[in-house]
Amino acid sequence: MSALAPTETITGQIAGVSPGLKRRRARAPRAAKHLRSNRTAYLMLAPMVILLAIFVVWPLIYAIYLSFFKISFYKGSEFVGLQYYMFVLQDPKFWNSLRVGIEFAAMVVPIGMVIALLIASFIKTLSKRMASFMKVTVYVPAVVSTVVASVLFLFMYQDQGVVNWFLSLLNAGPVAWLNNPGTALPAIAVPAIWLGLGITTLIMLAGLLDIPDSYYESAELDGAGFFKRTFYITIPLLKNILLYLFVTGFTGAIQMLDLPLVMTNGGPVNATTTPNLFIFNSFRAGTPYATSFSLTTALLLFVVLGLISVLVFRLINSDKAVDG
Amino acid sequence: MSTLTDTNTLSAAATPSPARGLRRGDRNRLLKLIGVILISISVLFPLAWMAIAGFKGKTEVLRSPFQFFPDMWDPKNYIAIIQDPQFSRAMLVTFGGALIFTALSLAINSMAAYALARLDFAFKRFWWVFCIMPMFVPGMAILLTSFVVVAQLGMLDTLAVLIIPGVASAVQMFFLRQFYLNMPVAVEEAALIDGASRWQIFTKIFIPQSAAVFVVVGIGSYMAYWNAYVWPILTITSPDLMQIQQFLGNFRSDRGNEWGLLMAGSTIAALPTIILVLFFQRYIVNGVRISGIK
Repeated sequence: MSALAPTETITGQIAGVSPGLKRRRARAPRAAKHLRSNRTAYLMLAPMVILLAIFVVWPLIYAIYLSFFKISFYKGSEFVGLQYYMFVLQDPKFWNSLRVGIEFAAMVVPIGMVIALLIASFIKTLSKRMASFMKVTVYVPAVVSTVVASVLFLFMYQDQGVVNWFLSLLNAGPVAWLNNPGTALPAIAVPAIWLGLGITTLIMLAGLLDIPDSYYESAELDGAGFFKRTFYITIPLLKNILLYLFVTGFTGAIQMLDLPLVMTNGGPVNATTTPNLFIFNSFRAGTPYATSFSLTTALLLFVVLGLISVLVFRLINSDKAVDG
Repeated sequence: MSTLTDTNTLSAAATPSPARGLRRGDRNRLLKLIGVILISISVLFPLAWMAIAGFKGKTEVLRSPFQFFPDMWDPKNYIAIIQDPQFSRAMLVTFGGALIFTALSLAINSMAAYALARLDFAFKRFWWVFCIMPMFVPGMAILLTSFVVVAQLGMLDTLAVLIIPGVASAVQMFFLRQFYLNMPVAVEEAALIDGASRWQIFTKIFIPQSAAVFVVVGIGSYMAYWNAYVWPILTITSPDLMQIQQFLGNFRSDRGNEWGLLMAGSTIAALPTIILVLFFQRYIVNGVRISGIK
């Protein structure tokens, strides 16, 4: 649902990184104690709480419950305990999908972050007008849907497409990007990087602008070049933002579903079957116990990724994270 | 890369003699301009390519030898895809759904955000955790059981199934709450002394001041709805309610080799969100600021 729509993470990412959160909360006085307003508060919260209860909390509990049962339409459900968890953990396809997901994230996140850092550093040096032009330009791909990006890159990867034309200028190719197990995953990583670039750049730029210019000026007087300044000033001072972007990027990339679904549907030979695509396809396959199996897989993945997100959220929300 | 290094060192070093400084400043500005153009072209190229391909004829679009621009700038693909009743219907239905979705989500999330930011009530901490917890639940973990739930509620294949389940959003609520936490408390207290109720304070003081943050959050909701793909293909089967991303996905699998038409359709489908961003660019770029990262 909305959680699957990639764009929703945009505001999430912005909202999430707020090193100044704790300080601000302390500064903004809370409503005075004598003004307790239970009725108004509950009325205002009610729609949100009810909807979340029906469409998030209940499905989650229900999923956990179902993962302990063998569901069959002909016989009643049968309690099987942790059997499905064993099935999933013993399925080589599950481990393969996990490997694909990790490989995919390992391509998308570091490359995306390096490009974003370079662009953000560049934007920082620009005049106000050029900077705002660049910010909008870099952000535009972020609002393109994954489906549009998928068909667009599919088109660009065709044998007579523009990518192979570039290669032919270098006297190489043509490469059947999406039909080759070796190149299919990197080929899907490119649109993922492209889609994520805007928001990563904007968040990094916001962090960069917080670093006092005097740090760079004195480093320059000492003769430090761009790379030295980046490694000794920018990266250490952006540590929290970088960590945040890395983890949210990683958990986001590992959960990529739309791009491989539209571009390759997992092929060739499962080279692009990310964990979520594996779950989605085993659900749609309609084999007898598909529901329980895919549910259980999703939950296993959720436990790992959920834990990571909670840890990072706590880290960023804690005072320890406030530095510089 | 080397451009970056150059411009960086030059920008601060441009002080010594005025004559040299001027020349350096010019060169510096030129290099930056080149950098801006190069980055813009590479970032926007795929979109431009999509729009260009929309102008190419059936045989022209993947012709070899390769040809960058179409023989003729003939918008026939664009006209054809708009005249496809299925396409224009999908655009309209998705647009309408997105508007309702955005309005509802702003209303529900901002009320909850206000209560959690500004009011004091029993079990506040519990409700805070309850409302923020969904942020950590990956969509996939609950996708299948959500499907069961909406099926049991008889919502399948209605507009409601696209709108209602996603409307309450922990992420959006969190963002709005951040904003409300930072609003000065003085006005609120003055209004309370004048006898205003909490609800009046919310609607008369907080909402009017929320324009900027509503734009950012609203665009987020709008895009989440407009760009959704997996949920619609699971829950919508009737062609009348088909969503635009679903249309494009189906088009790709059914008529996959009509690239010109598909690119024209994708261009048109991408336009609403791009226009939205260009129109509200200032708010979006400042969105990072509003949230308190600065």
